[in-house]
Parts: sequence; structure tokens; C-alpha cells
Amino acid sequence: MMLDDLRFRTRSLLHHSQMENELDEELRFHFDKQVEKFMRSGMSEDEAKRQARLAFGTQEKVKEDCREARGTSFLELTVDDARYAARQLIANPTFALVMIATLALSIGANSAIFSVINGVMLKRLPYPQPERLVRIFLSSKEFPKFSLNPWDFLDFRARNRSFESIAAFTRGDVQLSGEGEPIRLNGFGITSGYFRVLGIQPEIGREFDYQAEVPGNGLQVVISDRLWRTRFGADPSVIGRKVTLNTQPFTIIGVMPRGTEHPGNTYHAVAYGESVDVWWPFSFAGNSNNRGSHFIEGIARLKPGVSVNQAGADMNAVMQQMAREHPNGDRGWTVLVVPLFSEVVGSTRQLLFVLLGAVGIVLLIACVNAANLLLARASARQREIAVRLAMGAPRIRVVRQLLTESLLISVIGGAVGLALAFGGVRALVALLPSDFPRAHDIHVSGPVFLFTLIVSVLTGILFGLAPAMQASRTDPRQGLQHNTRTSTASRNQGRIRSALVIAEVGLASVLLIGAGLMLRTFLNLLHLDPGFQEDHVLTASISLPHNRYNAGELTAQFYDRLAAKINALPAVVSAGAGSDLPWTGYDENTGFTIEGKRPAENEGNHARYHMATPGYFSAMGIPLLEGRLFTEGDNKHAPQVLIINRAMAQKYWPGSDAVGKRVSFDDNPKKDTDWLRVVGVVGDVKDQPNSTAAEPAFWMSEYQSSQPDMSIALRTQSDPRQAADGLRSAIHSLDPELAVADVKSMDQVADASISTPRFTFALVGLFAGLAILLAAIGAYGVIAYTVAQRTPEFGLRLALGAQRGALLRMVLAQSARLAIPGIILGVLLAISFGRVLQTLLFGVRPADPMILASVTLLVLIVSLLASYAPARRAARADPMSTLRAE
Amino acid sequence: MTDRIELPQGTLDLLILRTLQPGAQHGWAISERVQQVSSDVLSIQQGSLYPALHRLERRGWIKAKWGTSDNNRRAKYYELTPRGKKQLEVETEAWRKLTAAVGQVLEGA
Repeated sequence: MMLDDLRFRTRSLLHHSQMENELDEELRFHFDKQVEKFMRSGMSEDEAKRQARLAFGTQEKVKEDCREARGTSFLELTVDDARYAARQLIANPTFALVMIATLALSIGANSAIFSVINGVMLKRLPYPQPERLVRIFLSSKEFPKFSLNPWDFLDFRARNRSFESIAAFTRGDVQLSGEGEPIRLNGFGITSGYFRVLGIQPEIGREFDYQAEVPGNGLQVVISDRLWRTRFGADPSVIGRKVTLNTQPFTIIGVMPRGTEHPGNTYHAVAYGESVDVWWPFSFAGNSNNRGSHFIEGIARLKPGVSVNQAGADMNAVMQQMAREHPNGDRGWTVLVVPLFSEVVGSTRQLLFVLLGAVGIVLLIACVNAANLLLARASARQREIAVRLAMGAPRIRVVRQLLTESLLISVIGGAVGLALAFGGVRALVALLPSDFPRAHDIHVSGPVFLFTLIVSVLTGILFGLAPAMQASRTDPRQGLQHNTRTSTASRNQGRIRSALVIAEVGLASVLLIGAGLMLRTFLNLLHLDPGFQEDHVLTASISLPHNRYNAGELTAQFYDRLAAKINALPAVVSAGAGSDLPWTGYDENTGFTIEGKRPAENEGNHARYHMATPGYFSAMGIPLLEGRLFTEGDNKHAPQVLIINRAMAQKYWPGSDAVGKRVSFDDNPKKDTDWLRVVGVVGDVKDQPNSTAAEPAFWMSEYQSSQPDMSIALRTQSDPRQAADGLRSAIHSLDPELAVADVKSMDQVADASISTPRFTFALVGLFAGLAILLAAIGAYGVIAYTVAQRTPEFGLRLALGAQRGALLRMVLAQSARLAIPGIILGVLLAISFGRVLQTLLFGVRPADPMILASVTLLVLIVSLLASYAPARRAARADPMSTLRAE
Repeated sequence: MTDRIELPQGTLDLLILRTLQPGAQHGWAISERVQQVSSDVLSIQQGSLYPALHRLERRGWIKAKWGTSDNNRRAKYYELTPRGKKQLEVETEAWRKLTAAVGQVLEGA
């Protein structure tokens, strides 16, 4: 029984057109028989046919009922409806193209943004059981999120009860030499167990054991799959081979598999993904009571069943013990345990939601627009629909038919949109700020397809349902009359369409206000006084091999001679070297003691520490405010000196002269040589362009501290990039084995630091532009339609003596009546939802009157432009032809 | 013309099955036959006849085949299936019981 039924349904579905023909034939046979019968009873053929038709009822209805009785109707009807819909679209290609193009753009934009969200936020991190991975930070009143001290880390490792494994890592690039020009590799020093935490086994070989952490045992290295393939020809016997890193022989003990992704780091950050080439063993050297310097980062894997909060409580209990044991260094700190996932994606979450909101609004506007176009077309199709209704088609069939049309449009739009998204995602990824997490995970993938499909279908229903319902309410009698312009239905429809335009103008205004805020933020950052002069500066970084330069004297000598060589280059104004460059995310800190001052309980003295050669400040354009800069004489044989920034002077010596004061890095300075004297105060440079204030910072003389890894800065008269070759050869003339890395102008560094606000502005601006364009199309559609309807009225008015200018103004005023409520709506929405933008803004409030006013003006102008052509048409109405027609 | 009465709900299927008992018929003949036999009291609207035929076919009580009509035109003939015959018996029995019961109530009142 069930089977029969199924077979029957399948047959009717498969042989759909045959069944339809048979149904036709069957009904025709009946009809003819009936006619025959009536004729036999003496009717004329015409009369007989008329009577038969009356007896028969409406053909369509009978067929419909038969189809339904056969039980195959749903699919059959859908196929039918789709065919019919396709014919309708082909018959109106302009309409179809406009609809499909606007939907494709907005669905494509949504798919592209969703691809980013999918890759960044929805995909799991590429480690086994990634939800058990956490990052560990220290936190104090002054430094809410800080790196770890190596000796603290050892205590954490020994005493915690929450982690299956715990490891520390720190950035330390290495120089690979041997064949060809030396190259700089992204490297990390890691403790034993680092890869165990991540859950990744070396492809061949092994990871470091605890022995490797002992000073002097560290000449071992684990290399990446990429380095193994490019430098070692994927040789499986590479384990045990020696490789020259920083001019020292390291033994390769392991090769990591492809897909070993860097979990991200905050200190000298390296991009996420397969961005690390080598890992070397971090060694614990020095005095284990020195808890002041923080420069390693913690990562751990939770034991099964242990929550992040439990681990945090456990670690803080350990920290309290340590604070009792080492009150000088460990007091005042709490431990932060942060899930790795939120650490990776946390900073981008808000940006992504704002972008998703923006594209969502664009899609909503596109929907409103599509609904509006459909409503306009529904009135044009009133006759067709009235005929169908008169032929006996049930209203629900008409709704289905029209809904199928809108679904067809939206699904085609979605398909084109998906194609656009492929290109869009590639462009997006290229535009992404360089520090954007997981950029390599962003693809148009399965979930994106699904998302696009769902969005397309929902879109089709959203914009199609109301017009379809409206159209199905057509009164067949009225619809069949030629003159429909006075019907109440169409007046009612006019009101709906106006409301829709007001809504889309409102939504577009919201986006424009958002774009305005982003633009203001971007300009504010662009015009910010950076505290240095970024133009005409070339930078590069070099790293002196420790074994050849380990005598501090040699390092100082190298940088001194290099400065002289560079200064001799043509067009170079000044040159120097610093431990770091502004705006590159450097945040190394140290504690210190001020002569004659005890720090308050739980509050150590902290400042960013840097090293610089004498020429650094003038090359970078950082102004000297008091005292003096370094000289060549500030070397190993002279008393140690410091230059501090204004923030440090104001914080630690408020109201008095900082120059001449002394500080020490020793917890308990005794000898005179333990002290460093402040000799100068320089201007503040903030960590990032949008940092609220500069952190206290000081510089030690490079000739006294002998930091081997330095960034070179040279100021030129002309385009700094032209000096790059000269810089390289100057360095290689002193040491041909040095790798010269990161050669770029300070402009580029500064540029990269504002790439996030630029990216946000570019996208929000793009979406806002799309939104106002769509809203303008919508407004144009409604105005043009009413003008067309009212042309006879305009003709009549002209005939009665109205001025053409008055008609023009009347139509423009109608447009303003749509735009103004829309703008008010938009401003209200923007003010109430402005808070979500707050953290993305800089130097501008969400309710900035300037921006609100400009957007209001812009939207008004656009709406008047959109209605100008219809207004001209109204003013050109011909009174004579109108009168004749009436 | 005699006054026609509306077909009570559910009786259409029974009438069709009964009309097909002697042998295969096409739709028009079915409606003519019902009208004749009922002395023009019952008339099946075409609008209900064909959906009913398709419904019965789907249920497997009748099956359709194409044949040639008296004036040599192709026509769709319906005939009872074995299951349809059984169904006819069941429904006839039910109808008799129903009318008898309704009759008794009407007489007794």
C-alpha cells in the first residue's frame, strides 16, 4: 500500500509532462462529450460549448485539484513555478539584472565577511583539544597584562597542580649562514615541553629535554617543515646535522611537521600560522633570585576536567607563596590564565562584529530595495495576477508563484555573490592589518557555502513575502480593468513603499555615520603628533653574533664604526641605532631603584628600557628637552648614564629636575658603579599611535650596555629607500656575514601601525557607499513611480495654470519627505548603537555633531539627486495629451 | 428536470466504485451513469469527479488505462482493482448500516 503510493507519486513526478498531457486529454475528452450531449438535445454548437464550459467550472482549478489528489503537487508545482518564474525574469531582463546585481553585491559582501569570521572565530585552533590550551600572564596595578620572569616560571612549573604541561617561549631570531648571503630566521627560544603543550610531535627527531635548558647545553635546534624542505632538501637523515646559527654550530634534533602553527605572542609579535622557522632551547642563566625582569611568555595545557578559573586560583595561590619568598620581585602580582582562543581572536572580535553588522545592514537595505521593486512590479503585473485568480487559481498558489520568483532571484543573486566573495575574500586578506590573527585560515569554504545558501533563501523570503501577499489580494474584477491607478490597493501600496524607502534611508544613514566616525578616527591618528619625525627615515635590523662580539667592547666599536660609515653616505643627515623602533609593539620593562626614595608598598618602579647610540635620537627626530644626548664618550670606561622620556621624568621626579638624579637596577645598590645618572630628558613617543599616553621609558648608552641586536635608523635628505643599498654595503664592509633584515622606511612602519583603523574605515566606507547607492535607487524607484502615476494630474495642474517650477519643487519636496524621517531614524539608531563602536574610535565621540550634520546633508543631497530626473519629467508633463486622455 | 440534491460527504468515492463494478469506464460515462441510474437526482460535478478519480487511483482502488471510446477517440478508462472491489464491499456494507440506522431514527422519532 505504502509502496504503491510511493511508486505512483514517483511515476507522476518522473513522467511529469506526460501526466500533464494525459490530464489535459482526459478533461478535453469529457468536455467534448458534454458538448456532443448538449448538441444532441438541440443546442447550437456555440451554445453547447458555452453551457459545457459553465458546467465544467474553471479548468485550472480542476487540474490543480487533480494534481493535488495525485499527491505529487509540491515538487511538481515548484518545478512548474520555477519554470514560470524563469520565463518572467527573462521577459524583464532589466528588472532581473538590477535585482540580481544588488543582491549579489550584498550577499557577496556578507559571504566575504562571514568567511573571515568563519576562519578567525568559528574554526577551532589547529591543535589537539585546543580548548584546554591557555596563556599565562602576570598582572599588576601598573601592568595589567605582563610577561613572565624565567625564575617565576620555574616555580610555576614545579608547583602548579592544574596543568598537564606548561612551557615558556620568547622571540629570538637567529641568523643562518653557510651558503650564500646570511638570512635572518624567525626564531623562538622555548622551554622543554613546549610542543607537548601544543600537542604536536616532531615529524622526525624529538623536542628539547630539561638538560637543554641548562646554560651551555643550548646548541640544539628544532626546525620547521618549511626550512627542512627549502634548506635541507627534505633530507630524512638531517637529525644530528650541524647548522650555523648566529655563527655557532647548532645540532638539529627535530623537524616539526607541516601545519605547526605559531600560537601567537605579545612580545615582539610574530604572525600566527606557520611563521616560525627555528626553535632553540631557552636556558635559565643567572641569579634565580632576580625576579625583576619579565620577558618570557607562558603557555600551558589544562589537565582534563580543570577549568580556566580553577587553574587561575591555583596559580594565584602559587604566586602568593612566591611573593612571601621573594618580596622584592614577586609582590604585587597576580596571575592571569587566559584561554588561548580568546587571546588569539579577542582583539578582533569587536571589529568583526562591527563589519558583520555593516554588511548585515547593506543586505537589509538590498532586501528593502528588492521588496520595493517587486511591489512596483506587482502593480504592473496586476492584470496577469487578476487573470490567474479569475481562472480559478487559489490565492495561495499566486503567493507561492510570486515567492518562487523572489527565491529564484535571491538564489541566483547568492550564486553570483558567492563568486564575488571568492574575489572579495582574496582582496580582504590582502588588505588585512599585518597583525590580524589567523589570516591564512580565511577561505571561502563549506560553511561559507552553507551560510550563503541560507542567507539567499532567507533574503528571498524576506523581500518576497510581503509583495506576494499584497499582490494576491488583487481583486480580479478591479485588476482586469485597465485603469488601476485610483484603486485603494495601490494607494495602500504607495504607503508601504514610502515606509520602506524611509527605512532604507535610515539604515544607510547609520552606515554613513559609522563610516564618518571611522574616517575621523583614521584622520585623527594620521594627524597625531607621533613624538618623532617618521618621514625620511630608513630602518633595518641586524643582530651581531654573540660568540664573535661577546666582548662588549667589540659591539660598541661595531655600532660606532657603522654610524661613521653611514654618516659618510651621500644624502644621509644623521644615523644611529636603537634597541627598537617606535610603534613596533616593543614593551620591554624593568624595575629600578631611585636613589634616596623607597617605592610604596606593592608598587615597584617600572619603565620601558631601551638602548641607543648617540645618533639615534636625531636620526629618529625625537627632541631633546633637557640635559644632553649620548656622546661617544659614554662608554665602558665612563660613569653609566641614562636618558629618560618626559613621562618618566614627570612620574618619578614630579616638579623637580630629573637631570642629575641616579637610579639603579640592583635591588640593593652598594657601589658607586651600581648607579646610572640621568643626563637628558627627551620627548615622549607612545607605544602605538592610539595609545592614550606614553609609558615611562629610558635609554641606556649602547656603548655601555652592548646590546647585540639593534635597529639601525638613518635620516636622509631625499627618498630614504634610495639609501638601502648604501646601508647594506656599509654593514657588509664591516662584517660580510651579517644578515640585514626588515629594511623599510619609517613611513612604512608608521603606516603598518594604523593599518587596522584604515582597514575598518575602508570596509565600513565601502559598505556605507553601497548602502547609500541602494537607498538612492530605492528612493528613485518610488518617486519615479508616483510621478508616472500622477502625470495626468500634473498635466491638469499645468492646464489650470500651475508653474512648471512649482511642480518640480513639489516632487523634490516629496523626496525630502522620504529622506528627512529616514535621516532622523538613522541618527537615532546611530546614537543608541554608537557604544558598540567606542573601542574602535579614537578622538571622536559616537554622537559627533559634525559627522551627524554632514551625513544629514549628504543624504539630503543624494535623495534630491535621486528624485531630480523624475521631478524634471513631472515638470515637463504635457497638459494637452493629459486632457485628451482623460 | 428533477431537483438535484448535493452529494453527502464521502459518498462520491462509493458511487464511483459502484459504477465501475460492471466494468471499465471513462470519466464522462461514470458521471452520465450515476445521473441516469439516480434518475437525474445525483449529479457529479466534473470539478469533483476527476480529483476523486486521481485520488482513488493513488490509493490503488482503481487503475487507469487508455482505450478507445465508441467514436474511436482515445479515452482514459478506469477499472476496479481487487483491493478496490474489497473496498467497495466494505463501503457498501458501511453505507447500508448507516442508512438503516438513520432510517430507524427518522422512523422512530
